[in-house]
Amino acid sequence: MTPLSHYLIFSGVLFSLGLAGAIIRRNILVVFMCLELMLTAANVALVGFSRAQGLEGVPVYDAQLLVLFIMAIAAAEVAVGLALIVAMFRARRGVESSSLTSLKD
Amino acid sequence: MSTSYLISASYTWGQFTPTFFLVGLALLLLLADALLPRLSKQAFPLIAAIGCFLATCGMMAGPWKNLYGMVAAGAATLCLLLVFDYRTVVYASVAGGGREEGSGELSALMLLATAGVVALTQARDLVMLFVSMETITLASYTLAGYFRRNRGSVEAGVKYLVLGAVSTGILVMGAAWFFGTTGTFALTMRFEQTALANPYLSIGFMLSLALLFVGIFFKAGVVPMHTWIPDVYQGAPTPVSAFLAVVSKLAGFAALALLALPLAEMHSTSAGMLKPVMFALGTMAIATLLVGNLGAIPQQNIKRLLGYSSIGQAGFILVFFVGLRSSLGSDTLFYLLAYGLATLPLFFVVGQLRMQRGSEDISVFRGLGRTNPRIAFLTAVCLASLAGVPLTAGFLAKLASFRSALVSTMSDVPASSVLIIVVVICATAGFYYYFKVLRAMYWEEPTEDDLKVNFSGLSTGVLALCALGILVLGVYPMLF
Repeated sequence: MTPLSHYLIFSGVLFSLGLAGAIIRRNILVVFMCLELMLTAANVALVGFSRAQGLEGVPVYDAQLLVLFIMAIAAAEVAVGLALIVAMFRARRGVESSSLTSLKD
Repeated sequence: MSTSYLISASYTWGQFTPTFFLVGLALLLLLADALLPRLSKQAFPLIAAIGCFLATCGMMAGPWKNLYGMVAAGAATLCLLLVFDYRTVVYASVAGGGREEGSGELSALMLLATAGVVALTQARDLVMLFVSMETITLASYTLAGYFRRNRGSVEAGVKYLVLGAVSTGILVMGAAWFFGTTGTFALTMRFEQTALANPYLSIGFMLSLALLFVGIFFKAGVVPMHTWIPDVYQGAPTPVSAFLAVVSKLAGFAALALLALPLAEMHSTSAGMLKPVMFALGTMAIATLLVGNLGAIPQQNIKRLLGYSSIGQAGFILVFFVGLRSSLGSDTLFYLLAYGLATLPLFFVVGQLRMQRGSEDISVFRGLGRTNPRIAFLTAVCLASLAGVPLTAGFLAKLASFRSALVSTMSDVPASSVLIIVVVICATAGFYYYFKVLRAMYWEEPTEDDLKVNFSGLSTGVLALCALGILVLGVYPMLF
Protein backbone atom coordinates (compact mmCIF):
# COMPACT_ATOMS: atom_id res chain seq x y z
CA MET A 1 0.00 0.00 0.00
CA THR A 2 1.24 3.48 -0.83
CA PRO A 3 2.05 5.45 2.34
CA LEU A 4 0.25 8.72 3.04
CA SER A 5 3.45 10.73 2.70
CA HIS A 6 3.65 9.96 -1.02
CA TYR A 7 0.22 11.41 -1.62
CA LEU A 8 1.07 14.48 0.43
CA ILE A 9 4.36 15.09 -1.34
CA PHE A 10 2.68 14.71 -4.72
CA SER A 11 -0.09 17.07 -3.67
CA GLY A 12 2.44 19.56 -2.32
CA VAL A 13 4.38 19.53 -5.60
CA LEU A 14 1.19 20.03 -7.62
CA PHE A 15 0.12 22.87 -5.34
CA SER A 16 3.47 24.64 -5.59
CA LEU A 17 3.53 24.25 -9.36
CA GLY A 18 0.04 25.71 -9.56
CA LEU A 19 0.79 28.62 -7.26
CA ALA A 20 4.11 29.41 -8.97
CA GLY A 21 2.46 29.24 -12.39
CA ALA A 22 -0.39 31.50 -11.31
CA ILE A 23 2.14 34.08 -10.14
CA ILE A 24 4.70 33.83 -12.95
CA ARG A 25 2.81 33.13 -16.16
CA ARG A 26 1.47 36.04 -18.22
CA ASN A 27 -1.14 34.28 -20.36
CA ILE A 28 -4.46 34.31 -18.50
CA LEU A 29 -5.45 30.94 -19.96
CA VAL A 30 -2.29 29.31 -18.59
CA VAL A 31 -2.83 31.08 -15.25
CA PHE A 32 -6.29 29.61 -15.22
CA MET A 33 -4.97 26.09 -15.78
CA CYS A 34 -2.52 26.60 -12.91
CA LEU A 35 -5.41 27.58 -10.66
CA GLU A 36 -7.18 24.34 -11.51
CA LEU A 37 -3.96 22.53 -10.64
CA MET A 38 -4.12 24.00 -7.12
CA LEU A 39 -7.64 22.66 -6.65
CA THR A 40 -6.54 19.25 -7.92
CA ALA A 41 -3.65 19.25 -5.46
CA ALA A 42 -6.13 19.79 -2.63
CA ASN A 43 -8.25 16.95 -3.98
CA VAL A 44 -5.28 14.57 -3.95
CA ALA A 45 -4.48 15.52 -0.36
CA LEU A 46 -8.13 15.08 0.66
CA VAL A 47 -8.38 11.62 -0.86
CA GLY A 48 -5.08 10.61 0.74
CA PHE A 49 -6.21 11.84 4.15
CA SER A 50 -9.59 10.17 3.75
CA ARG A 51 -7.80 6.80 3.32
CA ALA A 52 -5.38 7.46 6.14
CA GLN A 53 -8.08 8.44 8.64
CA GLY A 54 -10.17 5.36 7.83
CA LEU A 55 -10.11 2.06 9.65
CA GLU A 56 -9.78 -1.41 8.12
CA GLY A 57 -9.73 -0.16 4.58
CA VAL A 58 -12.91 1.88 4.95
CA PRO A 59 -12.09 5.53 4.28
CA VAL A 60 -13.77 8.47 6.03
CA TYR A 61 -16.10 9.63 3.31
CA ASP A 62 -16.43 13.23 4.56
CA ALA A 63 -13.24 14.17 2.74
CA GLN A 64 -14.34 12.53 -0.50
CA LEU A 65 -17.60 14.42 -0.23
CA LEU A 66 -15.67 17.68 -0.18
CA VAL A 67 -13.76 16.47 -3.25
CA LEU A 68 -17.04 16.20 -5.14
CA PHE A 69 -18.02 19.71 -4.06
CA ILE A 70 -14.63 21.04 -5.14
CA MET A 71 -15.00 19.44 -8.58
CA ALA A 72 -18.47 20.92 -9.03
CA ILE A 73 -17.29 24.36 -7.98
CA ALA A 74 -14.19 24.14 -10.15
CA ALA A 75 -16.44 23.42 -13.12
CA ALA A 76 -18.60 26.44 -12.32
CA GLU A 77 -15.47 28.54 -11.91
CA VAL A 78 -14.21 27.44 -15.33
CA ALA A 79 -17.52 28.41 -16.93
CA VAL A 80 -17.50 31.88 -15.39
CA GLY A 81 -13.77 32.33 -15.89
CA LEU A 82 -13.74 31.40 -19.57
CA ALA A 83 -16.68 33.73 -20.18
CA LEU A 84 -14.71 36.56 -18.59
CA ILE A 85 -11.63 35.68 -20.61
CA VAL A 86 -13.67 35.73 -23.83
CA ALA A 87 -15.04 39.15 -22.86
CA MET A 88 -11.50 40.31 -22.18
CA PHE A 89 -10.32 39.00 -25.56
CA ARG A 90 -13.12 40.85 -27.31
CA ALA A 91 -12.33 44.06 -25.47
CA ARG A 92 -8.59 44.08 -26.10
CA ARG A 93 -7.69 41.39 -28.65
CA GLY A 94 -5.38 39.54 -26.30
CA VAL A 95 -5.29 37.44 -23.16
CA GLU A 96 -1.96 38.60 -21.71
CA SER A 97 -2.14 39.83 -18.14
CA SER A 98 0.33 42.59 -19.05
CA SER A 99 -2.46 44.27 -21.03
CA LEU A 100 -4.52 44.73 -17.86
CA THR A 101 -3.39 48.24 -17.15
CA SER A 102 -6.39 50.54 -17.32
CA LEU A 103 -6.98 50.39 -13.55
CA LYS A 104 -4.10 51.66 -11.47
CA ASP A 105 -3.04 54.33 -9.01
CA MET B 1 -11.82 7.74 13.87
CA SER B 2 -14.12 5.64 11.74
CA THR B 3 -17.15 7.54 12.99
CA SER B 4 -17.99 10.06 10.37
CA TYR B 5 -18.98 13.44 11.79
CA LEU B 6 -21.34 14.11 9.00
CA ILE B 7 -22.52 17.56 8.34
CA SER B 8 -26.23 16.97 8.63
CA ALA B 9 -25.88 16.25 12.34
CA SER B 10 -25.71 19.87 13.41
CA TYR B 11 -27.98 21.49 10.83
CA THR B 12 -31.72 21.57 10.33
CA TRP B 13 -33.42 22.37 7.06
CA GLY B 14 -35.55 24.97 8.81
CA GLN B 15 -32.65 27.18 9.82
CA PHE B 16 -31.80 27.75 6.16
CA THR B 17 -35.26 29.08 5.28
CA PRO B 18 -33.98 32.64 4.61
CA THR B 19 -31.30 31.23 2.30
CA PHE B 20 -33.80 29.09 0.40
CA PHE B 21 -36.11 32.07 0.12
CA LEU B 22 -33.37 34.24 -1.38
CA VAL B 23 -32.24 31.51 -3.79
CA GLY B 24 -35.83 30.82 -4.83
CA LEU B 25 -36.46 34.48 -5.49
CA ALA B 26 -33.27 34.73 -7.54
CA LEU B 27 -34.30 31.75 -9.67
CA LEU B 28 -37.78 33.22 -10.14
CA LEU B 29 -36.23 36.49 -11.28
CA LEU B 30 -34.01 34.62 -13.74
CA LEU B 31 -37.04 32.80 -15.13
CA ALA B 32 -38.97 36.05 -15.35
CA ASP B 33 -36.05 37.59 -17.19
CA ALA B 34 -36.24 34.88 -19.82
CA LEU B 35 -39.99 34.28 -20.04
CA LEU B 36 -41.58 37.67 -19.42
CA PRO B 37 -39.88 40.04 -21.85
CA ARG B 38 -42.62 42.64 -21.29
CA LEU B 39 -41.88 42.99 -17.59
CA SER B 40 -39.97 46.22 -17.13
CA LYS B 41 -36.39 45.66 -16.02
CA GLN B 42 -36.84 48.40 -13.46
CA ALA B 43 -38.98 46.00 -11.46
CA PHE B 44 -36.14 43.47 -10.98
CA PRO B 45 -33.98 45.33 -8.49
CA LEU B 46 -37.08 46.53 -6.66
CA ILE B 47 -38.54 43.02 -6.30
CA ALA B 48 -35.12 41.73 -5.24
CA ALA B 49 -34.74 44.55 -2.71
CA ILE B 50 -38.18 43.81 -1.23
CA GLY B 51 -37.26 40.12 -0.98
CA CYS B 52 -33.97 40.97 0.73
CA PHE B 53 -35.77 43.29 3.11
CA LEU B 54 -38.23 40.53 4.04
CA ALA B 55 -35.29 38.20 4.68
CA THR B 56 -33.73 40.91 6.87
CA CYS B 57 -36.92 41.19 8.92
CA GLY B 58 -37.18 37.41 9.17
CA MET B 59 -33.69 37.09 10.61
CA MET B 60 -34.22 39.78 13.23
CA ALA B 61 -35.88 37.49 15.74
CA GLY B 62 -37.72 34.23 16.03
CA PRO B 63 -36.60 30.83 14.75
CA TRP B 64 -34.35 32.24 12.03
CA LYS B 65 -32.57 34.76 14.23
CA ASN B 66 -29.15 35.42 12.72
CA LEU B 67 -27.64 38.82 13.38
CA TYR B 68 -24.77 38.54 10.89
CA GLY B 69 -27.20 37.37 8.23
CA MET B 70 -29.55 40.20 9.09
CA VAL B 71 -26.90 42.87 8.63
CA ALA B 72 -25.78 41.22 5.39
CA ALA B 73 -29.29 41.07 3.96
CA GLY B 74 -29.97 44.63 5.08
CA ALA B 75 -26.83 45.85 3.33
CA ALA B 76 -27.75 43.84 0.24
CA THR B 77 -31.17 45.54 0.23
CA LEU B 78 -29.41 48.89 -0.01
CA CYS B 79 -27.12 47.60 -2.78
CA LEU B 80 -30.15 46.47 -4.77
CA LEU B 81 -31.77 49.86 -4.28
CA LEU B 82 -28.55 51.33 -5.61
CA VAL B 83 -28.89 49.11 -8.70
CA PHE B 84 -32.31 50.68 -9.21
CA ASP B 85 -30.99 54.16 -8.59
CA TYR B 86 -28.11 53.63 -10.99
CA ARG B 87 -30.21 52.05 -13.74
CA THR B 88 -29.49 54.51 -16.54
CA VAL B 89 -25.80 53.65 -16.42
CA VAL B 90 -26.59 49.94 -16.10
CA TYR B 91 -28.78 50.04 -19.21
CA ALA B 92 -26.24 52.06 -21.17
CA SER B 93 -23.35 49.79 -20.24
CA VAL B 94 -25.00 46.40 -20.68
CA ALA B 95 -26.93 46.60 -23.94
CA GLY B 96 -25.85 50.00 -25.21
CA GLY B 97 -28.14 52.80 -26.33
CA GLY B 98 -30.29 52.88 -23.21
CA ARG B 99 -32.07 49.59 -23.88
CA GLU B 100 -32.92 47.55 -20.83
CA GLU B 101 -32.20 44.03 -22.00
CA GLY B 102 -29.72 41.93 -20.11
CA SER B 103 -29.89 43.99 -16.95
CA GLY B 104 -32.18 41.67 -14.99
CA GLU B 105 -29.51 39.16 -14.06
CA LEU B 106 -27.61 41.77 -12.08
CA SER B 107 -30.30 41.71 -9.37
CA ALA B 108 -30.63 37.92 -9.48
CA LEU B 109 -26.87 37.43 -9.10
CA MET B 110 -26.75 39.83 -6.19
CA LEU B 111 -29.54 37.88 -4.50
CA LEU B 112 -27.63 34.63 -5.04
CA ALA B 113 -24.50 36.10 -3.53
CA THR B 114 -26.51 37.37 -0.56
CA ALA B 115 -27.97 33.89 -0.08
CA GLY B 116 -24.38 32.62 0.03
CA VAL B 117 -23.51 35.15 2.74
CA VAL B 118 -26.55 34.20 4.82
CA ALA B 119 -25.69 30.50 4.51
CA LEU B 120 -22.06 31.24 5.38
CA THR B 121 -23.03 32.90 8.66
CA GLN B 122 -24.69 29.65 9.72
CA ALA B 123 -21.84 27.34 8.73
CA ARG B 124 -20.45 25.12 11.47
CA ASP B 125 -17.95 23.17 9.41
CA LEU B 126 -15.53 23.70 6.57
CA VAL B 127 -17.60 22.05 3.83
CA MET B 128 -20.51 24.41 4.36
CA LEU B 129 -18.10 27.32 4.73
CA PHE B 130 -16.37 26.47 1.46
CA VAL B 131 -19.53 25.93 -0.58
CA SER B 132 -21.27 29.09 0.64
CA MET B 133 -18.07 31.09 0.21
CA GLU B 134 -17.80 29.93 -3.40
CA THR B 135 -21.44 30.81 -4.01
CA ILE B 136 -20.56 34.37 -3.11
CA THR B 137 -17.31 34.36 -5.05
CA LEU B 138 -18.71 32.91 -8.28
CA ALA B 139 -21.59 35.37 -8.30
CA SER B 140 -19.17 38.22 -7.55
CA TYR B 141 -16.88 37.37 -10.49
CA THR B 142 -19.80 37.79 -12.85
CA LEU B 143 -20.98 40.92 -11.06
CA ALA B 144 -17.56 42.60 -11.20
CA GLY B 145 -17.28 41.98 -14.94
CA TYR B 146 -20.94 42.69 -15.61
CA PHE B 147 -20.40 45.67 -17.94
CA ARG B 148 -18.72 43.50 -20.53
CA ARG B 149 -18.30 46.29 -23.08
CA ASN B 150 -16.50 48.40 -20.54
CA ARG B 151 -12.75 47.73 -20.39
CA GLY B 152 -12.47 48.67 -16.75
CA SER B 153 -15.24 46.35 -15.69
CA VAL B 154 -13.87 43.36 -17.62
CA GLU B 155 -10.41 44.03 -16.25
CA ALA B 156 -11.85 44.18 -12.73
CA GLY B 157 -13.61 40.88 -13.35
CA VAL B 158 -10.45 39.13 -14.59
CA LYS B 159 -8.29 40.47 -11.77
CA TYR B 160 -10.88 39.44 -9.22
CA LEU B 161 -11.17 36.02 -10.84
CA VAL B 162 -7.45 35.26 -10.76
CA LEU B 163 -6.90 36.34 -7.16
CA GLY B 164 -10.18 34.78 -6.05
CA ALA B 165 -9.30 31.45 -7.60
CA VAL B 166 -5.85 31.51 -5.97
CA SER B 167 -7.50 32.09 -2.60
CA THR B 168 -10.00 29.29 -3.28
CA GLY B 169 -7.12 26.92 -3.95
CA ILE B 170 -5.39 27.98 -0.74
CA LEU B 171 -8.62 27.63 1.22
CA VAL B 172 -9.33 24.06 0.08
CA MET B 173 -5.73 23.05 0.71
CA GLY B 174 -6.20 24.39 4.24
CA ALA B 175 -9.43 22.41 4.56
CA ALA B 176 -7.62 19.25 3.42
CA TRP B 177 -4.90 19.66 6.04
CA PHE B 178 -7.49 20.54 8.67
CA PHE B 179 -9.20 17.25 7.93
CA GLY B 180 -5.90 15.42 7.89
CA THR B 181 -4.87 16.63 11.32
CA THR B 182 -8.21 16.70 13.15
CA GLY B 183 -10.11 13.94 11.34
CA THR B 184 -13.18 16.12 10.86
CA PHE B 185 -14.39 19.26 9.11
CA ALA B 186 -16.39 20.41 12.11
CA LEU B 187 -15.18 23.70 13.57
CA THR B 188 -15.29 22.72 17.23
CA MET B 189 -12.76 23.06 19.97
CA ARG B 190 -12.63 19.35 20.88
CA PHE B 191 -10.87 18.04 17.79
CA GLU B 192 -8.68 21.07 17.35
CA GLN B 193 -7.37 20.72 20.87
CA THR B 194 -6.40 17.10 20.29
CA ALA B 195 -4.57 18.05 17.13
CA LEU B 196 -2.77 20.91 18.80
CA ALA B 197 -1.65 18.83 21.77
CA ASN B 198 -0.02 16.20 19.54
CA PRO B 199 3.50 17.33 18.59
CA TYR B 200 3.35 15.57 15.20
CA LEU B 201 -0.04 16.89 14.25
CA SER B 202 0.32 20.42 15.60
CA ILE B 203 2.64 21.50 12.76
CA GLY B 204 0.15 20.28 10.17
CA PHE B 205 -2.67 21.90 12.08
CA MET B 206 -0.83 25.23 12.17
CA LEU B 207 -0.23 24.90 8.42
CA SER B 208 -3.91 24.29 7.84
CA LEU B 209 -4.87 27.30 9.98
CA ALA B 210 -2.44 29.50 8.05
CA LEU B 211 -3.84 28.36 4.71
CA LEU B 212 -7.45 28.78 5.86
CA PHE B 213 -6.80 32.25 7.22
CA VAL B 214 -5.05 33.38 4.03
CA GLY B 215 -7.89 31.97 1.91
CA ILE B 216 -10.47 33.89 3.92
CA PHE B 217 -8.36 37.06 4.10
CA PHE B 218 -9.11 37.46 0.40
CA LYS B 219 -12.81 38.03 1.08
CA ALA B 220 -12.18 40.21 4.11
CA GLY B 221 -9.62 42.32 2.22
CA VAL B 222 -6.73 41.79 4.60
CA VAL B 223 -3.03 41.91 3.67
CA PRO B 224 -1.58 39.86 1.90
CA MET B 225 -4.75 39.18 -0.14
CA HIS B 226 -5.82 42.82 -0.45
CA THR B 227 -4.28 43.70 -3.82
CA TRP B 228 -7.49 43.25 -5.82
CA ILE B 229 -9.52 45.72 -3.79
CA PRO B 230 -8.64 49.15 -5.25
CA ASP B 231 -8.65 47.91 -8.86
CA VAL B 232 -11.88 45.95 -8.58
CA TYR B 233 -13.74 48.69 -6.69
CA GLN B 234 -12.69 51.19 -9.32
CA GLY B 235 -13.54 49.04 -12.32
CA ALA B 236 -16.67 47.24 -11.18
CA PRO B 237 -20.14 48.81 -11.56
CA THR B 238 -20.78 51.10 -8.57
CA PRO B 239 -23.58 48.96 -6.99
CA VAL B 240 -21.26 45.96 -7.26
CA SER B 241 -18.41 47.87 -5.62
CA ALA B 242 -20.81 48.71 -2.80
CA PHE B 243 -21.77 45.06 -2.52
CA LEU B 244 -18.14 43.90 -2.42
CA ALA B 245 -17.23 46.62 0.05
CA VAL B 246 -19.89 45.74 2.59
CA VAL B 247 -21.71 42.43 2.07
CA SER B 248 -18.76 40.43 0.80
CA LYS B 249 -16.47 41.87 3.47
CA LEU B 250 -19.01 40.91 6.10
CA ALA B 251 -18.94 37.37 4.74
CA GLY B 252 -15.15 37.32 5.06
CA PHE B 253 -15.23 38.43 8.67
CA ALA B 254 -18.09 36.06 9.52
CA ALA B 255 -15.94 33.21 8.18
CA LEU B 256 -12.91 34.47 10.12
CA ALA B 257 -15.02 34.56 13.28
CA LEU B 258 -16.21 30.99 12.66
CA LEU B 259 -12.61 29.92 12.42
CA ALA B 260 -11.36 32.00 15.34
CA LEU B 261 -14.12 31.30 17.89
CA PRO B 262 -13.09 27.67 18.63
CA LEU B 263 -9.52 28.93 19.00
CA ALA B 264 -10.76 31.60 21.40
CA GLU B 265 -12.52 28.90 23.40
CA MET B 266 -9.28 26.96 23.57
CA HIS B 267 -7.36 30.04 24.57
CA SER B 268 -7.88 29.66 28.32
CA THR B 269 -6.38 26.18 28.41
CA SER B 270 -3.63 26.30 25.83
CA ALA B 271 -2.67 29.93 25.34
CA GLY B 272 1.00 29.07 24.87
CA MET B 273 0.36 26.95 21.82
CA LEU B 274 -1.73 29.65 20.17
CA LYS B 275 1.02 32.29 20.44
CA PRO B 276 2.10 31.83 16.79
CA VAL B 277 -1.49 32.31 15.60
CA MET B 278 -1.85 35.50 17.62
CA PHE B 279 1.51 36.76 16.40
CA ALA B 280 0.55 36.13 12.76
CA LEU B 281 -2.83 37.83 13.19
CA GLY B 282 -1.19 40.78 14.93
CA THR B 283 1.35 41.20 12.13
CA MET B 284 -1.37 41.01 9.50
CA ALA B 285 -3.45 43.58 11.38
CA ILE B 286 -0.48 45.97 11.50
CA ALA B 287 0.25 45.46 7.80
CA THR B 288 -3.40 45.89 6.83
CA LEU B 289 -3.79 49.08 8.85
CA LEU B 290 -0.66 50.58 7.32
CA VAL B 291 -1.38 49.55 3.72
CA GLY B 292 -5.01 50.68 3.83
CA ASN B 293 -4.58 53.96 5.63
CA LEU B 294 -1.35 55.10 4.06
CA GLY B 295 -2.38 53.90 0.59
CA ALA B 296 -5.57 55.95 0.77
CA ILE B 297 -3.74 59.24 1.25
CA PRO B 298 -2.66 59.95 -2.36
CA GLN B 299 -5.86 58.63 -4.04
CA GLN B 300 -7.78 60.89 -6.40
CA ASN B 301 -10.50 58.49 -7.55
CA ILE B 302 -13.26 58.26 -4.96
CA LYS B 303 -13.94 54.56 -5.55
CA ARG B 304 -10.25 53.75 -5.15
CA LEU B 305 -10.23 55.86 -2.01
CA LEU B 306 -13.17 53.87 -0.66
CA GLY B 307 -11.27 50.70 -1.61
CA TYR B 308 -8.23 51.67 0.44
CA SER B 309 -10.53 52.87 3.19
CA SER B 310 -12.14 49.44 3.25
CA ILE B 311 -8.72 47.82 3.62
CA GLY B 312 -7.92 50.21 6.46
CA GLN B 313 -11.23 49.50 8.20
CA ALA B 314 -10.59 45.76 7.79
CA GLY B 315 -7.36 46.34 9.70
CA PHE B 316 -9.28 47.88 12.59
CA ILE B 317 -11.64 44.90 12.59
CA LEU B 318 -8.77 42.41 12.54
CA VAL B 319 -7.52 43.97 15.79
CA PHE B 320 -10.48 42.27 17.51
CA PHE B 321 -9.14 38.89 16.42
CA VAL B 322 -5.57 39.36 17.62
CA GLY B 323 -6.21 38.53 21.27
CA LEU B 324 -8.47 35.55 20.37
CA ARG B 325 -11.12 36.60 22.88
CA SER B 326 -14.65 35.24 22.70
CA SER B 327 -16.11 38.75 22.42
CA LEU B 328 -14.70 39.06 18.89
CA GLY B 329 -17.97 38.00 17.23
CA SER B 330 -20.13 40.81 18.60
CA ASP B 331 -17.38 43.46 18.40
CA THR B 332 -16.83 42.63 14.74
CA LEU B 333 -20.53 42.80 14.00
CA PHE B 334 -20.87 46.24 15.58
CA TYR B 335 -17.87 47.52 13.63
CA LEU B 336 -19.25 46.10 10.39
CA LEU B 337 -22.63 47.68 11.07
CA ALA B 338 -21.05 51.08 11.65
CA TYR B 339 -18.85 50.65 8.57
CA GLY B 340 -21.74 49.54 6.35
CA LEU B 341 -24.02 52.38 7.48
CA ALA B 342 -21.33 54.88 6.52
CA THR B 343 -20.01 53.27 3.34
CA LEU B 344 -23.20 52.30 1.49
CA PRO B 345 -24.68 55.83 1.31
CA LEU B 346 -21.35 57.12 0.00
CA PHE B 347 -21.70 54.77 -2.96
CA PHE B 348 -25.18 56.24 -3.58
CA VAL B 349 -23.61 59.70 -3.72
CA VAL B 350 -20.81 58.47 -5.97
CA GLY B 351 -23.36 56.87 -8.29
CA GLN B 352 -25.41 60.05 -8.62
CA LEU B 353 -22.35 62.25 -9.11
CA ARG B 354 -21.00 59.85 -11.73
CA MET B 355 -24.29 60.04 -13.63
CA GLN B 356 -24.63 63.81 -13.48
CA ARG B 357 -21.11 65.18 -13.34
CA GLY B 358 -19.60 62.36 -15.37
CA SER B 359 -16.58 61.47 -13.28
CA GLU B 360 -15.55 59.54 -10.20
CA ASP B 361 -12.72 61.81 -9.09
CA ILE B 362 -12.81 63.48 -5.71
CA SER B 363 -13.03 66.79 -7.57
CA VAL B 364 -16.67 66.06 -8.51
CA PHE B 365 -17.57 66.74 -4.88
CA ARG B 366 -16.40 70.32 -5.50
CA GLY B 367 -18.77 72.87 -4.08
CA LEU B 368 -21.42 70.33 -3.12
CA GLY B 369 -21.83 72.20 0.17
CA ARG B 370 -22.95 75.23 -1.88
CA THR B 371 -25.10 73.52 -4.50
CA ASN B 372 -26.66 70.71 -2.42
CA PRO B 373 -26.23 71.68 1.24
CA ARG B 374 -28.44 68.93 2.64
CA ILE B 375 -26.76 66.12 0.70
CA ALA B 376 -23.37 67.55 1.59
CA PHE B 377 -24.27 67.50 5.28
CA LEU B 378 -25.46 63.88 5.16
CA THR B 379 -22.32 62.87 3.25
CA ALA B 380 -20.24 64.67 5.87
CA VAL B 381 -21.90 62.63 8.63
CA CYS B 382 -20.98 59.40 6.83
CA LEU B 383 -17.39 60.52 6.28
CA ALA B 384 -17.12 61.63 9.89
CA SER B 385 -18.28 58.21 11.03
CA LEU B 386 -15.70 56.49 8.83
CA ALA B 387 -12.99 58.76 10.23
CA GLY B 388 -14.21 58.16 13.79
CA VAL B 389 -15.48 61.54 14.97
CA PRO B 390 -17.17 61.38 18.42
CA LEU B 391 -20.97 61.04 18.54
CA THR B 392 -20.97 58.82 15.47
CA ALA B 393 -21.13 55.03 15.39
CA GLY B 394 -17.71 54.93 13.76
CA PHE B 395 -16.14 56.53 16.83
CA LEU B 396 -17.47 53.85 19.16
CA ALA B 397 -16.39 51.13 16.74
CA LYS B 398 -12.84 52.53 16.55
CA LEU B 399 -12.84 52.96 20.33
CA ALA B 400 -13.74 49.28 20.75
CA SER B 401 -10.90 48.38 18.40
CA PHE B 402 -8.47 50.51 20.39
CA ARG B 403 -9.69 48.99 23.66
CA SER B 404 -9.23 45.53 22.22
CA ALA B 405 -5.64 46.36 21.28
CA LEU B 406 -5.09 47.72 24.81
CA VAL B 407 -6.43 44.55 26.44
CA SER B 408 -4.22 42.47 24.15
CA THR B 409 -1.17 44.47 25.22
CA MET B 410 -1.99 43.94 28.86
CA SER B 411 -2.48 40.22 28.43
CA ASP B 412 0.90 39.89 26.72
CA VAL B 413 -0.24 39.05 23.22
CA PRO B 414 2.81 39.10 20.92
CA ALA B 415 3.22 42.14 18.64
CA SER B 416 0.37 43.99 20.32
CA SER B 417 2.44 46.84 21.73
CA VAL B 418 3.38 47.81 18.17
CA LEU B 419 -0.22 47.21 17.15
CA ILE B 420 -1.59 49.79 19.56
CA ILE B 421 0.75 52.48 18.22
CA VAL B 422 -0.21 51.62 14.64
CA VAL B 423 -3.93 51.77 15.53
CA VAL B 424 -3.48 55.31 16.87
CA ILE B 425 -1.43 56.47 13.86
CA CYS B 426 -3.89 55.00 11.37
CA ALA B 427 -6.94 56.42 13.12
CA THR B 428 -5.30 59.83 12.73
CA ALA B 429 -4.37 59.22 9.10
CA GLY B 430 -8.06 58.47 8.44
CA PHE B 431 -8.98 62.05 9.27
CA TYR B 432 -6.72 63.30 6.53
CA TYR B 433 -8.07 61.34 3.59
CA TYR B 434 -11.75 61.34 4.54
CA PHE B 435 -11.61 65.06 5.12
CA LYS B 436 -10.11 65.56 1.67
CA VAL B 437 -13.62 64.89 0.37
CA LEU B 438 -15.09 67.22 2.98
CA ARG B 439 -12.68 69.93 1.90
CA ALA B 440 -13.75 69.52 -1.72
CA MET B 441 -17.38 69.85 -0.68
CA TYR B 442 -17.09 72.87 1.59
CA TRP B 443 -13.91 74.76 0.89
CA GLU B 444 -13.73 74.61 -2.89
CA GLU B 445 -15.83 77.00 -4.91
CA PRO B 446 -18.12 75.32 -7.47
CA THR B 447 -17.14 76.23 -11.04
CA GLU B 448 -19.74 77.41 -13.50
CA ASP B 449 -20.48 73.97 -14.95
CA ASP B 450 -20.97 72.47 -11.49
CA LEU B 451 -24.73 72.75 -11.43
CA LYS B 452 -26.92 71.57 -8.63
CA VAL B 453 -27.01 67.77 -8.67
CA ASN B 454 -30.50 66.32 -8.73
CA PHE B 455 -30.49 63.60 -6.15
CA SER B 456 -33.32 61.13 -6.54
CA GLY B 457 -35.70 60.81 -3.62
CA LEU B 458 -34.46 57.27 -3.11
CA SER B 459 -30.81 58.17 -2.63
CA THR B 460 -31.67 61.15 -0.42
CA GLY B 461 -33.86 58.87 1.68
CA VAL B 462 -31.17 56.21 2.02
CA LEU B 463 -28.59 58.85 2.91
CA ALA B 464 -30.83 60.38 5.54
CA LEU B 465 -31.74 57.01 7.02
CA CYS B 466 -28.12 55.85 7.24
CA ALA B 467 -26.94 59.17 8.67
CA LEU B 468 -29.70 58.93 11.28
CA GLY B 469 -28.64 55.37 12.06
CA ILE B 470 -25.02 56.47 12.47
CA LEU B 471 -25.96 59.24 14.90
CA VAL B 472 -28.42 57.13 16.88
CA LEU B 473 -25.93 54.26 17.22
CA GLY B 474 -23.24 56.78 18.10
CA VAL B 475 -25.26 58.22 20.97
CA TYR B 476 -27.19 55.16 22.17
CA PRO B 477 -25.01 52.13 21.32
CA MET B 478 -27.06 50.08 23.80
CA LEU B 479 -29.74 49.84 21.10
CA PHE B 480 -27.47 47.41 19.30
